[in-house]
Amino acid sequence: MDEIDKIPDYPIVNKEHSRLYYYPGCSLMSSAKELGESLFAMAKLVGSWVEELKDWNCCGSSPAHSVSQDYALLLAGRNLLLAERQGIDELYVTCPSCYVRLRTAENTLRHTPVKNDILEEAIGRRYDGTVRLKFFLELLIDSRRDIFKNAVVNPLKGLKPVLYFGCLLTRPEWITGFDVLPYEAELRSFVDSLGVETKRWGYAKQCCGAHLAVTKPELADSQVDKIRDQAKRSGANCIISFCPLCQVNLELRGSKETRLPVFYISELIGLACKLKNAENWLEKHLVNPIPLLEENKLL
Amino acid sequence: MKKIDNGFLNQVEDKCGHLLGGCFHCMACASGCPAVELMDYYPNQIIRMIQFGMKEEVLKSKTIWVCVGCYACVAQCPNRIHIPHMMDALREIALEEGVEPGEPDIWAFHREFLKQVDKRGRVYELEFMMRYKLATGSYFNDVGAGLKMIKHGRLDLFPTKVKKLKEIRAMGDYFDGRNR
Repeated sequence: MDEIDKIPDYPIVNKEHSRLYYYPGCSLMSSAKELGESLFAMAKLVGSWVEELKDWNCCGSSPAHSVSQDYALLLAGRNLLLAERQGIDELYVTCPSCYVRLRTAENTLRHTPVKNDILEEAIGRRYDGTVRLKFFLELLIDSRRDIFKNAVVNPLKGLKPVLYFGCLLTRPEWITGFDVLPYEAELRSFVDSLGVETKRWGYAKQCCGAHLAVTKPELADSQVDKIRDQAKRSGANCIISFCPLCQVNLELRGSKETRLPVFYISELIGLACKLKNAENWLEKHLVNPIPLLEENKLL
Repeated sequence: MKKIDNGFLNQVEDKCGHLLGGCFHCMACASGCPAVELMDYYPNQIIRMIQFGMKEEVLKSKTIWVCVGCYACVAQCPNRIHIPHMMDALREIALEEGVEPGEPDIWAFHREFLKQVDKRGRVYELEFMMRYKLATGSYFNDVGAGLKMIKHGRLDLFPTKVKKLKEIRAMGDYFDGRNR
């Protein structure tokens, strides 16, 4: 037998050694730590080096745009200026809410010189419009998708998730730049390639209650109950989320009876590909996913 | 009889950059709104009231504060009326003109969040939640949820901040509600 036959069947990764710049937002390394860590592991798998946008500030999400359009624009605008100054032409955003804010500002600054004037007045620089914003899901573009598929060593048989997009991942599509409907089928087939069996349902874009979870917890409770109840009725035993706020609300709110573990897609990739530390992310969950995973012999 | 302000429609349209005359009250927005049960007027009723010049009622309403901006309404609207941007503009006008917010707790949430942003450029969730509780007197509500977050290591115990805070402060000057 040749030496080469003893090498385990491990995917040959076309290392791109590219640098991925990302905007973390306020939640990535605090309330959504497992999202952060799993995303970094994902980037590593495709051979990319991740680097944070230096000196980033709050994107101007809900509270800022809710009470002052200019303030929200400035907060997002400063991040765009930083990216320009740091020579970043592609900036990955990890939270759908940050993504909508940054994209809105990017669009406004490029097309409305008056607004760019305000930015110049406040910070002393104009935005030239050279930054391309990307949502982290775009890591799963065609060429890379096979890398993930080939790296699956622990197919997640027995997990029956529903895909929960929430509001801002897809709405409004003239800001996010993509319509989820054609994208949904692709995403579903990608998720299925991890060995799971996704279920179809009609609640994928129902709001989780967002920040009303703090100010009006009863509303968030009833929203979350409706969503999880529908997930269960569709035969699902877990939910896949793409947003740090949705993930927390869906695990933290609602009544005990409807509880379901809520994974980020990157966590499932981590578990299916047995990426380093993947099992440590599970402790962060507010609904313990370990029984479900053990039941299906996935750990 | 309350005062009618005939210029209100134009004021709101100018502020949000969308025309609000196209609404034919199909109520798609109201039926799809996840927060409608907390509202005192349906979103389409707010549009009608703006057209009628009922400025005071609109600016004092709960509806404008309850909207979370999930964009369900505008996605369903046959006339593509941008209700979330309209609500943003209404809140901004209410603050500029010193109207008492119809939902003081939600305003306190936004205000305390933005104080964090002004202080560090980022949000320190732990302090933010404590300050929100102090501001609203809701000390014991939801303590369990907070403890659960801490237990699972999902709230940072220490804050991080932006280096160039001067830039952050300069931006804060553009926020009218900063000193309220």
